[in-house]
Amino acid sequence: MLNSFKEILAAAKQSGAKKLVVPSPAATDLPLLAEASAAGLIIPILVGAGGTLPALVGGSPLAVEKYELVEENDPGSILSRAIALIRSGEDILMQGGAAPQELLEALRDKEQGLLPKGGVVSYVSIFSLLKREKLILVTDTFINNNPTLVEKQQILMNALQLARILGIEAPKVAVLAAIEQVNPGIPSTLDAAILSKMGERRQFGKAIVEGPLDIDCALSQVAAGRKGLQSAVTGNVDIYLVPEIDTGHLLAEALVFFGKMQTVGMVMGTSKPVILNLPFVSAANRLMEIALACLACPKGGTNG
Amino acid sequence: MIRSLSDFARLAREKGPKKMAVLAPEDEEFMLAVKKSSELGYIEPVLIGNSKKIDEAAEKVAFNISSFQKISGDELQGISDLGIRMLFSGEAPIAGKGQIPTSYIYRSIIREEAKAGSDMTVSVVTFWEIPGIDHLVVFTDTGVNIKPDLKAKGEIIKNAVFVYHLLGCPRPKIAVLSGQREVGGKLTSYEDYEALQKEAAAGDFGSCEVVPATSFTDIFMGGRDQRVDYGNITGEGMPHILLVPCLDTGNVICKLDFFLDVTRSSLVATSRGPVCIPARSDFNDNIVQQIAMSVVLADRMEKEVQ
Repeated sequence: MLNSFKEILAAAKQSGAKKLVVPSPAATDLPLLAEASAAGLIIPILVGAGGTLPALVGGSPLAVEKYELVEENDPGSILSRAIALIRSGEDILMQGGAAPQELLEALRDKEQGLLPKGGVVSYVSIFSLLKREKLILVTDTFINNNPTLVEKQQILMNALQLARILGIEAPKVAVLAAIEQVNPGIPSTLDAAILSKMGERRQFGKAIVEGPLDIDCALSQVAAGRKGLQSAVTGNVDIYLVPEIDTGHLLAEALVFFGKMQTVGMVMGTSKPVILNLPFVSAANRLMEIALACLACPKGGTNG
Repeated sequence: MIRSLSDFARLAREKGPKKMAVLAPEDEEFMLAVKKSSELGYIEPVLIGNSKKIDEAAEKVAFNISSFQKISGDELQGISDLGIRMLFSGEAPIAGKGQIPTSYIYRSIIREEAKAGSDMTVSVVTFWEIPGIDHLVVFTDTGVNIKPDLKAKGEIIKNAVFVYHLLGCPRPKIAVLSGQREVGGKLTSYEDYEALQKEAAAGDFGSCEVVPATSFTDIFMGGRDQRVDYGNITGEGMPHILLVPCLDTGNVICKLDFFLDVTRSSLVATSRGPVCIPARSDFNDNIVQQIAMSVVLADRMEKEVQ
């Protein structure tokens, strides 16, 4: 089981270099790509206007590493060309210069995208705990605004997939809500209870899904005990599933800015790993995101 | 201006003891907090609830309660109604809950506010003391309104501004929080921010300012076009009040003290005085802190009324 970002990086280095496609790369992306390439994680494939790419790479640290250029002179086709490369066998897609909304819509495109039928694209943030060596997953922290129960089911399955990539055999899941009791007036508690019941019936495979849990019960077994709640999940959660995006996005940011917890993240649900460029992921941790994506590359299947 | 939880503790010793209607103190942890608060000179408790359970809890924490007023009752809503009525009648300037679901307390407060004709919306303010930030930060509403609409959010802001004025901050800064980011269209929480900023500028909430920041990225980095640098996270310019979009968000974030290096303390400020509402999972030291805060706010509200 991988318990730290360093362990993710070390494991990714063992998995062999992956082809990472970057549409419209910016000059600021190139030192990161060079570092990842030098570490043996990736061979970058840069997609953009033919006239600009060689000059862009020429003055950067990537110039001395292995890389490939794909010429696409129609600015409106660069992203779709990058996705087409992934569909035809390359390994990882990075946001590059694509606008996030445009990228998501392209990923969800039924004909040309990367989303398997019936799937849901979601975002998982991974945090490194401060007081002990353990990684926790929080989802969805970026993509889905107000997921339905069906979508939450998929979002949870995506997170479980990532947890298993990290080697967590039977992930413990806290389905978060405002309170730990099922209250028909608070819809998040109803969804949480249903997901918990689905977990009990093994609909998520080898996982323990507990909900609704408020954050104090999720974080502390003692606090949960004082509320009369006994569970293997309390105090030792692997995956926190949030009710909606206001909570998810603000929670992720709170852990970074108030808790100073290191974080990386990845899009899940797509047929190949996709890396976004979010402001609360530090420059140093972007390398860890590439390493994580390398580990998530499918061995003949999908990553979600 | 009160800037830290230790300010509350110091002032509570000066301003106490104040009579506190203590509702269902039937749990050791809570009774221990009542004992400590009494010994520190913060409160003179009026113990309301099941006499046998109160006696047992007191005995377990070696608290001699023979000199305090006790009112026997078994029915939870009845206990809550009685204690909150004592607050609104002026018999006790503070009420505080023990092992009684908060929903009973809110129901009692709503009834008494209606009777008093105050039209005050009930909401919870949760203070965070954060190392490195030179003032207390309030999250609200963290306890009552499940999905407040724009009007309710305005009322919640008014309550928090009222509390901040009591602390001695004449023009608190407010961030209306939202999960707004680069994808997914405009969220309701962001539309509410836009409207509330205009209402605040028009003076609808009294002396305060809604700042142009809706996320912690905005607050800590001044915008979303920067990248986090862990060596430079300062919280400089942190607003005083953080309005959360809904109860799920409020509860999840305000209780991160179980995880992060922050200290939490919550209360409900009614039109007649504070109600101390520790979570059922809170520990005695934390509850003592919440009682100290209630004592100081009760003192300042009494002066305001005078």
